Amino acid sequence: MSLLDPGFLRRLARLRLVARRRFAGASAGARRSTRRGSSAEFADHRPYYPGDDVRRIDWNAYARLEELVLRLFVAEEDLSLYLLVDTSASLGEPREKLDVAKHVAAGLGYVALTGSDRVSVWPFADRLRAPSAPVRGKKRVGTLLRTLDALAPSGETDLARAVDELCARRPRPGLVAVISDFLDPAGYQRPIDRLLAERHEPVLLHVVHPEELDPTPGGDFVLVDAERGTSLEVSLDERSLRAYRARVRAFLDELTAFAKRRGLYYGRVSTAEDFETTLLRYLGAAPRAGQA
Amino acid sequence: MELLSPLSLAWLGLLAPLVLLYVLKRRRERRIVGSTLLWEAALRDLRAERPWQRLRPHLSLLLQALVLIAGALALARPTGAGQVPAGARLAVVVDVSSSMAAREDGQTRLERATGLARGLARDLPPGGAMMLVAAGAEAEVLAAPTSDRVRLEAALDRLRVRGPGADLEAAVALAAERLRDAPAGSRVVVFTDAAIAGTLVLDATVPVEVRPIGEALSNHAILALDVRAHPSEEISDRADVFVRLARFGEGRGEVRVRASIEGGRELAARRLTLEAGEPTGLVLSAELPPDGSARGALVRVELETVGGDDPFPLDDVAAAPSPAARRLPVFLVGDAPPAVTRVLSADREVELFATSLARLAERGADAPPLDGLFVYAGPTPEAAPPGDSLVVAPTGDAVFGVGLGAPVARPTLVSWEEGDPRLRFVRFADVHLGAIRPIEGGSARALLTTDAGPAIASLSRPDGETTLVAFDPADGDWTSRPDFVVFFRNVLERARERRAAGGIAPGALGAPLRVPAPDGARVGVTTPSGRALAGTSRGGVAVIDVPAEPGVFVARVGERERFALRNLTDAEESDLSPRAVFSRRGGAGGVATVEPVEHREAWPFLVGAVLALLAIEVLWGTRKGAAA
Repeated sequence: MSLLDPGFLRRLARLRLVARRRFAGASAGARRSTRRGSSAEFADHRPYYPGDDVRRIDWNAYARLEELVLRLFVAEEDLSLYLLVDTSASLGEPREKLDVAKHVAAGLGYVALTGSDRVSVWPFADRLRAPSAPVRGKKRVGTLLRTLDALAPSGETDLARAVDELCARRPRPGLVAVISDFLDPAGYQRPIDRLLAERHEPVLLHVVHPEELDPTPGGDFVLVDAERGTSLEVSLDERSLRAYRARVRAFLDELTAFAKRRGLYYGRVSTAEDFETTLLRYLGAAPRAGQA
Repeated sequence: MELLSPLSLAWLGLLAPLVLLYVLKRRRERRIVGSTLLWEAALRDLRAERPWQRLRPHLSLLLQALVLIAGALALARPTGAGQVPAGARLAVVVDVSSSMAAREDGQTRLERATGLARGLARDLPPGGAMMLVAAGAEAEVLAAPTSDRVRLEAALDRLRVRGPGADLEAAVALAAERLRDAPAGSRVVVFTDAAIAGTLVLDATVPVEVRPIGEALSNHAILALDVRAHPSEEISDRADVFVRLARFGEGRGEVRVRASIEGGRELAARRLTLEAGEPTGLVLSAELPPDGSARGALVRVELETVGGDDPFPLDDVAAAPSPAARRLPVFLVGDAPPAVTRVLSADREVELFATSLARLAERGADAPPLDGLFVYAGPTPEAAPPGDSLVVAPTGDAVFGVGLGAPVARPTLVSWEEGDPRLRFVRFADVHLGAIRPIEGGSARALLTTDAGPAIASLSRPDGETTLVAFDPADGDWTSRPDFVVFFRNVLERARERRAAGGIAPGALGAPLRVPAPDGARVGVTTPSGRALAGTSRGGVAVIDVPAEPGVFVARVGERERFALRNLTDAEESDLSPRAVFSRRGGAGGVATVEPVEHREAWPFLVGAVLALLAIEVLWGTRKGAAA
C-alpha cells in the first residue's frame, strides 16, 4: 500500500499527536514547554537582572515588595519528532516488516506535521543514513512520505552507532520514535539509555512478523541470516520450536520490561495486523502517560 | 612405500561410520530470515540440554577425520621402499675397500653407506633382525643377526675403510648363509661403490639388493713409488725417486708432485699435466745420505691436484725407503771363519764392525742401541740381542734357549726349506759338511736337516730373528760352492729388508699393525696424520688397529722405534668409477640394483600433521565458541 493512500491519510487527520512529556522548542507551538516563554499562562517570578526585558517586570509586585522581579510565562513550543527507522536487511525479510515500519513512521509524521511539530526522518542500519531535513507544517506531508517511501533494506543493524551519530549532531531534545525489530547483536539497551541521557523521549515501536514469533512447524532448513550471511541448520521439530519460542518470549519480555523500567512507551507492530491500530493505540495511550 | 605395521590400518575402519554419518546428512531447504540471533540462542539451549546432537557438515568433522587417518597411518609406520617386513631378516653388506674413502658431497662413500645402513637398523620392524658384514679383502661379520639396535649401532661404528679389495662375493655368500632359513622377505642389501672391474657373481638363496654408493669421479693417483740409488762421482748418496702417476676419469688435470724426507726437508717438486688413461712416469733426483745412526731416510711423495680438490686422498701419498736404508751395519762378534768374513765384506752395502762379547758387555745401559745384524762366531750371549742375528759355529751348549747336541761328523743332508727366503737359489745337493751340532728344541724351525738333526735353523722372536748355522762352514766343501755366498747374501738381504721395513711386517693399507714386542709391553703408534694410538703386546705381538692412512707409521716399544710403511698404489682402487657388473649364478634372477634411499619412517611427519590438525581444530573450535 502506498504511503499516500487517501483513506489512510483521512484517518490520520483525525488524530492528534500528543507527547507524553513537555519539551523545549525553538519556536512557539501547540505544546507546553519546560522553558519559560511569552505565552499568556503565568508560570513564576524571578529576580530582575540588568539586561532583562523591562517589559516583563511585574510592577505590581514591585509595589508590594519594592523589589524588581520578572514575570515568567509558560512557553508554547513546537515538538521535534525524530523518526529513527531501522532499514537494516532484517527489516526486508520479509519485506512487510519494512513496509509496516514505514507506515507507522508515516502515520506519526503526519500527525506531527498536522500539529505544527517538526518532523525529520533518520533511517539507520549499521550506521545512520542520510537523515532528512526537519519539516514543519501540513504542507510538507508529501515530502515526508516521499522520503519514507524511498527507504530500502540493506546492511546490518547497529543501533548504538546510529544513536551515537544522531546525538553527535546535537538535535533539540524531542520525541524519538525508534521503529525497529531490535534484533541487534550488540543489544538495544545502551543506545536507548543514551537517548534518555540526551533528554530525548524514546518511543519503542517493535516491528515483528508472525513467522518470527511462532514459526510454522515442520521441515529442515538452512536459515541464512539476511544481515550477516551466516547460516544455521534448523529442524523445525517440536523440541526446537519450543526452545525458539522460549527465546522469543524471553526477548519480548526483556524488551517490555526494559521500556517499563524507564517509563517508555513500547508498542509491538505486527505485520499481521492493521498498523493503524498500533498507531492509534500509541496515540491514545500517550496522553495518559504524559500526564503521569 | 611399505607399511611396517599394516594391521594398524584397521583403525581406518573408524572412518566408515564417521563418513557415513556425514553422508547421511539430511538435505535442507535454504531459507533467508531477517536474523538468526534468536535461533542461535535457542540451539545453544538445545545443545546444553542433550548429550547428543545431529552430525552436521562441519570443519571439525573434516579435521577429525584427517586426524584419524593420519593417526592410523602413523601407527602403520609407512616407510620408503626397501623396508623389511615384520619378522624378516636383513643382511647388510658394506664395501670397506679403500675406494669407499672417496669423498662426495662432504662425506665419504663409507660414511654415506654407514648412514644408510644405520637407517635400515633404525627402521627395523618389530621382530626384524639385521646383521652387518664388512666386505674388505676378506668378509668380516661385525654383527650377527640381531634386533638389538644398540649392538647394531656399535657394529656400524666399527665400520672403517680397509685396504684394497672388496670380496663382495664372499661377503654376500656369508650373509646369505646366515639367512638361509630366514622367513620370507629376508634379503641381503649391499652398499658398494661398485668400483671393481669385472662381473661379480652374488650367489644367494635370498634376494640381493645392490645399492650403489657414489658416482664416477676424476681422480689423480700415485700408482707406484720406488727409490733407487744412482750414485755419481761427486755425489755418492744420489738417488732417483721413481713415481708413476695416473689420472682416472676423463679429461686432463694438473698436479704437483713433491718428494721429501719423511718429517724432513723437501727433496724435489714437479708440476705436470696428467691425461686420463695415460699413466705417466716421473723421475726425481735427490741426495739421500743416511742419518747419524746409519739408518736410511724414508722418502715421502705427495700428489696435489692444482686448482681443485682431489676426492680420494689415500692414493695421493706414498712412502718408500731410500737406498741408504739398504746399508746394513753388521756387528761381527768373535772370530768368524775367513770365508764368512770375506762374504760379509764383499757386500758393498754392508758396514762391518768387528767386536767381541766383552766389548759389548762394556757398553752402558744408557748407550744407544746398536741397530744392525749381529753375527756371532763361537760363543754367544745368553739372550739374543734385539733385531736380527746370525750365529755361525756356536761353541756353547745352547744358543738363545735352543740346545745343541754333540758334534756329529759328516752327516747326510736330508732336506732343506726351499721356500725360505734365506735358501732362495741355494741347493745343498752334493754338499758335504764336516761336523755339525744337531739343533734341539721345538722352537727352532729347521732350514737344513741332516740325518743327525737340523744343522741350520731359524729362531723367531717377537723382536727379531736368529739364523743358527750349527757347524763350521769351512769344515767341508760348502764354502767352495756359490750356494755358500748366496746363502749369506740371502741372510743379509733378509735382515736388510726387515730393517728397512722397520721390523713390522708389511701390510695393506688399513690393515692392523702387528708390532713385535715383549709380552705385556706397551706399544705406542703415531699415524702419518699424527694421531696417537696405543696397544699392549700379547704373545709377543701388539696388534694395533690403525686407520687407512698412507705414509709412515711410527711404533715405539720402549726406546726403540720401528717403522711401518703403508701405501695404496692400487689402480683398481684409485679408479673411482662404478664399473662392476652384478649377476647371479647361471645368470638367473639377476641382482636388483636399487638407488640408495634415505630411509626415514613417515610417522614423525604424520604425528606432526596430527598435532597441527588438532591445533587448527582447537583454534577453530575456540574461536567459534567465542563468537557464539
